[in-house]
Amino acid sequence: MADITKYLRRTFELWGYREVFLPAVEEFSGNLRKGTKFAYNNGFYVIKPDLTSQILANLKEPRRMKLYYISEVLNGGIRGKWQAGVEFIGGKDVQMQVEVLLTAITSLEALGIEDFYIDVGSLKVWENSMEGIEEFRGEVFEALTRRNFEIIERLPISEEKKEELWRLFNFRGKRCGYGKLNEIVDAVDDERVFIDFGTIRPLPYYRDIIFEIYSPRLGKPLGGGGEYTFKGTDAFGFAFDLNALSKLFDGRKMEKSRKKVSGDLREAYRLARELVKLGIPVEVGE
Amino acid sequence: MRFVLPKGRLFKGSLEILRKAGVELKPPENRELIVKNGKYELLLARSFDVPVYVEHGVDVGIAGSDVVEERESDVLIPLELPFGKCRLSLAMPAESLTEIEDMEGFRIATKYPNIARKFFERRGVDVEVIKLHGSIELAPKIGIADAIVDIVETGNTLRANGLVEVEKIMDVSALLLVNRVSQKVKFEEINRLVLKLKEAGRNDV
Repeated sequence: MADITKYLRRTFELWGYREVFLPAVEEFSGNLRKGTKFAYNNGFYVIKPDLTSQILANLKEPRRMKLYYISEVLNGGIRGKWQAGVEFIGGKDVQMQVEVLLTAITSLEALGIEDFYIDVGSLKVWENSMEGIEEFRGEVFEALTRRNFEIIERLPISEEKKEELWRLFNFRGKRCGYGKLNEIVDAVDDERVFIDFGTIRPLPYYRDIIFEIYSPRLGKPLGGGGEYTFKGTDAFGFAFDLNALSKLFDGRKMEKSRKKVSGDLREAYRLARELVKLGIPVEVGE
Repeated sequence: MRFVLPKGRLFKGSLEILRKAGVELKPPENRELIVKNGKYELLLARSFDVPVYVEHGVDVGIAGSDVVEERESDVLIPLELPFGKCRLSLAMPAESLTEIEDMEGFRIATKYPNIARKFFERRGVDVEVIKLHGSIELAPKIGIADAIVDIVETGNTLRANGLVEVEKIMDVSALLLVNRVSQKVKFEEINRLVLKLKEAGRNDV
């Protein structure tokens, strides 16, 4: 864990994100997601809520900023999940998405994890496809969340519409009919990034572009994120599940770059000191 | 591809529908819990654990909707399967029937504490939920609970124990579960399986 957060911090900082420190306990508000609620002296509080919602609750006015956090997130219990994530608020459309995706990719590479995929989807594409069948929005999103097409088949809508939804359901590739997505995938330029409309998790606060990171070596997603709006300002962020990353991370591989010095104590430490100054990892043998 | 199937009520039906869809899984001959079968691997688990196995990396599983709802696992549910039909209901002793709204402070025995708690929360009634692992009908009989939330198939077990079904909480059916990452990594293979199971299910009805 210490090694993983070290490499993540380094990568986030290289991209210009600043670490944000937030209180462990917040006064209860409907805007805070997750966390563990408790009552104390007639007040209601939440311990360790979801970080994105906590950052937004603490932000008075939206302005351009790039933040990152490494924290535990509780969800009703006393043990939670450790997450590391970034939020890019107030950036330029498309550029912001490209930069955040590249932050995720380079973070994984910094951890020596290369065998991953990122599926990028769009909620707007689904919203547009619901033109004329708005009353079934709930059912379509439920079908998407469970990946259950039977729900759509049972709807009293035209066969052409079902066909159109079926195509979206199973779409996976590098180019699609939505310019913004094409532009993003094109600029990110990584063979592990795919456009996928059907296997993406549609969470309620996301506005359009969403993505999920996973590896064939692990049965759980490594992380994910998406686009949201804060007081009219666009933002884009993601979070890694640190527990998932720790299963793929091989610390031994990373330690090879550490310079070993030994010999006379004074000489060895003089050299070690110079190396540390230069930013080179060092270990003095006994 | 790895399958996890529940021991018990749904096991036979699960093997049967998979066989019709072209997936031959041999049931274990002795007490082993993993059986290899060509390119398939079959895991046997307690029904309540099936969604958890699928969430954490087993490709495909079959479990009742009661269990999936109770465990709230993050899995894909592409199909409802045409067997394992029953319902999850609230029942109480015939001699002390009470309106749900008047059940404040009652003790509810169940294998499904999450579902039971949510059901009473929706009704705005504060109850105490006692989790048991089996023979739930016993609890009201010996006085450790006032009512139960449990699976009802024919109603015979309830009647034999002097209980009356008061309200259905949910319909239960077997469901096909798919791991989120497997759906992406084995996209074609899983889509084919879902289609075949769908056909097998249709021919069944």
